[in-house]
Amino acid sequence: MTAMDRLRAARPAPLPAVADREALFDRIVATPADGAGARPARSRRKLVLVAAVGLAVVLSAGTAYAVATDLFGWHTDNVFVKDPRVWRGLYRDATQELRLPPGMAWPYRTLPPHTITNRTEPGGMAVGIAQTAWECYWTEAIRANDRTAERDAHSALTDLVRHHIVVAPPGSPENVAPPAGTQAPFEIYASDGGISYVKHNYALAAAGDPSGVAQSCRANRGDLQIPPVR
Amino acid sequence: MNPDQHPPEDPEARFRRVFAHLQPVADYAARRGSSDPEAIAAETMAIAWRRLDRVPADDPRPWLFVTARNLLMAEQRRTTRRSQADRALARPEAAPAVESTDPAVTRALRALPERDREALLLVAWEDLTPAQAAAALGIAPVAFRVRLLRARRRFARSLSADGLPNTPDVLEVKST
Repeated sequence: MTAMDRLRAARPAPLPAVADREALFDRIVATPADGAGARPARSRRKLVLVAAVGLAVVLSAGTAYAVATDLFGWHTDNVFVKDPRVWRGLYRDATQELRLPPGMAWPYRTLPPHTITNRTEPGGMAVGIAQTAWECYWTEAIRANDRTAERDAHSALTDLVRHHIVVAPPGSPENVAPPAGTQAPFEIYASDGGISYVKHNYALAAAGDPSGVAQSCRANRGDLQIPPVR
Repeated sequence: MNPDQHPPEDPEARFRRVFAHLQPVADYAARRGSSDPEAIAAETMAIAWRRLDRVPADDPRPWLFVTARNLLMAEQRRTTRRSQADRALARPEAAPAVESTDPAVTRALRALPERDREALLLVAWEDLTPAQAAAALGIAPVAFRVRLLRARRRFARSLSADGLPNTPDVLEVKST
């Protein structure tokens, strides 16, 4: 037996069939899809051409800077955090602005060694933690039929989506930052329909179906210690 | 309509073909040590639906594995961000928890650099062709073949050192 034969023979057994495939399929296709509704390539090319001409006109008018910074306001952020103490300070500040489910404490987080990031990332992480925590809490509340806890989770997540999640313009680079004055902390979503999926899951949960928030909770909770619904 | 043009395919019908790979993606996540492979597979499919125009219609598997792999890496980053005490013990460069049914194979896999191990496993466990595996890793097919050659040699050496009788170092892969 060759080494490769032995490697192949040592492949772990497949998982049992994924449960509720059709329900998952239905849930996914019920959400908006950027690509699913895409125009044919020829139309897209025309659109790109028109957009390119339009952009050239704008740029030739000498307003590129104003467009980039004043009109849309999104810009690249080249101020980096290298010091874990600074990172933790920003994270701590963010946690003061956010709310967690009853009885839950903020987990310890810091900047990993040999890492740099921009100044908005600690706040974004805090928002992500709060979001996941409330999604898990909402899942439990629905399963426990605790209406008060359900309303609390719904309210907290609505507030997060409205005030602490911003969607970057299409094609933005990794280090994009929103307009100055955006209320911190915030988490930046790519313009790929992700926020629509999140809202769809919350609408399902508000209607008593926890499947979407439960999936997000399972995928994102990691080491978070979510207290039980009381 | 130009008779040479096909009418645009119904997105749901197209996604149905992508979704058919749900189980292999879940298996892939499980074999790479995910704590919740079904959630990784479900999230991969949700992303595929949102970005359906970017998913290759003829062969979505490499794209799906790239996406699942990114989600796995995010999961592993979250897992390593544990309490301060845990972090003191954690090694950021530690190998992902790849497990096989053969302890010697597991040890030999863990001794490999991560990118060599992934090249090997995409072919041996996920049954990708070298061209598909190259696409999944975002490298040229020629570069993948070089990496695979190096990986299988290292793997064979590592396995031999673990007590396996000397075996021919031969790799048969499906042609592209």
